[in-house]
Amino acid sequence: MALLVLPAVLYLLIVYALPLLLLLSRSVVGPEGFSLGSFAAFLSDPFSLRVIGNTLRIALMVTLVCLVIGYPVAFALARARGLMQVLLLSAIILPLSIGVVVKAFAWQIVLRRDGIVSQFLVGVGVWDEPQRLLFTETGLVLGAANVFLPFMILPIYSVVKLIDPRLMEAGATLGASPPYAFRKIVMPLTLPGVVTGAAFVFSLAMSMFVIPSLLIGDRFQTLATLTGRSFLLMRNEALGSTTAAILLVIAVAIVVASTWLARRLGGSS
Amino acid sequence: MTGPFLDIRRATKSFGSAVVLDGVDLGVARGEFVSLLGPSGCGKTTLLRIISGLLRTDRGDVFLDGEEIGGRPPHRRDVGVVFQNYALFPHLTVAENVAFGLKAKAFPASGIAGVVSRYLSLVRMSEFADRSVRALSGGQQQRVAVARALAVKPKLLLLDEPFSALDRKLRETMQIELKRLLRELGTTAVFVTHDQDEALVMSDRIAVMHRGRIEQYAEPQAIYDHPATAFALGFVGLSSRIAGTVVAEEGPDHVRVRTSLGALTGRGRFMPGSAVVVGMRPERLRLCGENEGESGASSTIGGENAIEARVRDVVFQGARVQIHCDAPDDQPLLVDCPAGAAYPSPGDTARIRWSVADTLVLAQEGHAPQALAADGAAS
Repeated sequence: MALLVLPAVLYLLIVYALPLLLLLSRSVVGPEGFSLGSFAAFLSDPFSLRVIGNTLRIALMVTLVCLVIGYPVAFALARARGLMQVLLLSAIILPLSIGVVVKAFAWQIVLRRDGIVSQFLVGVGVWDEPQRLLFTETGLVLGAANVFLPFMILPIYSVVKLIDPRLMEAGATLGASPPYAFRKIVMPLTLPGVVTGAAFVFSLAMSMFVIPSLLIGDRFQTLATLTGRSFLLMRNEALGSTTAAILLVIAVAIVVASTWLARRLGGSS
Repeated sequence: MTGPFLDIRRATKSFGSAVVLDGVDLGVARGEFVSLLGPSGCGKTTLLRIISGLLRTDRGDVFLDGEEIGGRPPHRRDVGVVFQNYALFPHLTVAENVAFGLKAKAFPASGIAGVVSRYLSLVRMSEFADRSVRALSGGQQQRVAVARALAVKPKLLLLDEPFSALDRKLRETMQIELKRLLRELGTTAVFVTHDQDEALVMSDRIAVMHRGRIEQYAEPQAIYDHPATAFALGFVGLSSRIAGTVVAEEGPDHVRVRTSLGALTGRGRFMPGSAVVVGMRPERLRLCGENEGESGASSTIGGENAIEARVRDVVFQGARVQIHCDAPDDQPLLVDCPAGAAYPSPGDTARIRWSVADTLVLAQEGHAPQALAADGAAS
């Protein structure tokens, strides 16, 4: 049986793990041999700390927006039948086939000063005059949440679908009002899906490169965009591999923690 | 006005064009154990869901303890349910499952632990209190489900085929255990089942349901001895059934019926020409040797019916022996007699006799031919 995963392991080892290792080694190998100097230098720079803060803040905001929008959608999808279910599923999955660049450009149009969001908010009287959302953090979070939403909806949906509807009925016959039963029965049972979805979206949002480049620009740096700039523009491989290593450590920590948490919370029975 | 404790009046429910409950009346006394017995699709589960509030009637009223509850949502009815699959909360422990209703009803927090441990000990699950319900066997899950439903002291407990997932041996133990527990607590209970044995064992009264109606509502013995309809005869207990047409009334409450086996006399009041079913319980039939009694065609002699039949199968069942016979026209007849007596072998011809008083004559159901025998054993 172990032989069955051998091709996959070899492939990952040769084209992924080895180059990654070589790349990351640049962050600890200086002119004088092994040193953690580049990490020390990076982490003591206030600019770097602001970049790490930007990365975590944006990823957290995107995750929260996806959760708030995606949670009810997952229920709608789980309850839908027939044509409605097909329509909903396509509406969630088809956008994944559109390139991120295309979507980001579309959001550029939507978020402009004369874009639809600005016009709408002025029209209903929330804003006094048109404002530009493009090149703001709000715009970035909205655009990124749109791109990553399916990765929140689908894990929650897969858990909701497995919840026995009789559990809510059992709760009701024991005297639980619908909101109480939802809070005490359904919500805890969806937590593994929420954790998985949040881990997906958080990791994706933390490492996104194209979306911030197009929606907020170079003045705002995250670990991912800084890594990209270091390699592509500044030709600073030591800096690039240092930020890449930090990004990787955070991502691995999130995946490990969420897997452990999802398991502890227990999946569907 | 004091009606029954649970009083259902003219309950009607349709799903689309299918009428699932057709004006059902049902009264259950306080402390009584009533079974709704019928095949799948007869409306028994729909009626249960209507009592619990998980469904609403299209028309009709539900009264519990003098209050009309038909309009209330399930969480404001005081009606507990033990579900067929138990519907235990998988993310909670055994004790937390039992505590759920108490917490939902804002029972004083200090008293919850005591109530939980009392009900867990009543169902003999105390040592499992801190286990996850996922790790329990079917019988243990059922005990927890019963404890969870009873802990909130519902006015009425509904049970939806709670034994169907258990193997036979365990089922019989659990039936007796549950019956005793409910009697000790004085709980009024309505029990849904398609299993006639289960209904006979557990119930004070049985409502036999068929096609959205209650065909008969009586004590188990009364349903067995005096089934009100051909369906009740066929569904509860074993019987031999022969279709026929009434040819004449014979004195008060007796009719003569023409069947494919000849003329038979039985209890019943019908106009000549009525399509009927003649039914007999297997233990009321007697086998006589070929030479005993009179030979010849089937006839009615001295308050008895008699038929000649071939023995097809002899099934030894320990204390009893079931003898499957084929009367002329391939009409099956089932005879049940105590083991030990001499009985014939397959292939023999036997004469079967039974008293006119044990011959039930019931109206034929709708259009369906009612000439089946012994199919009660399969259900």
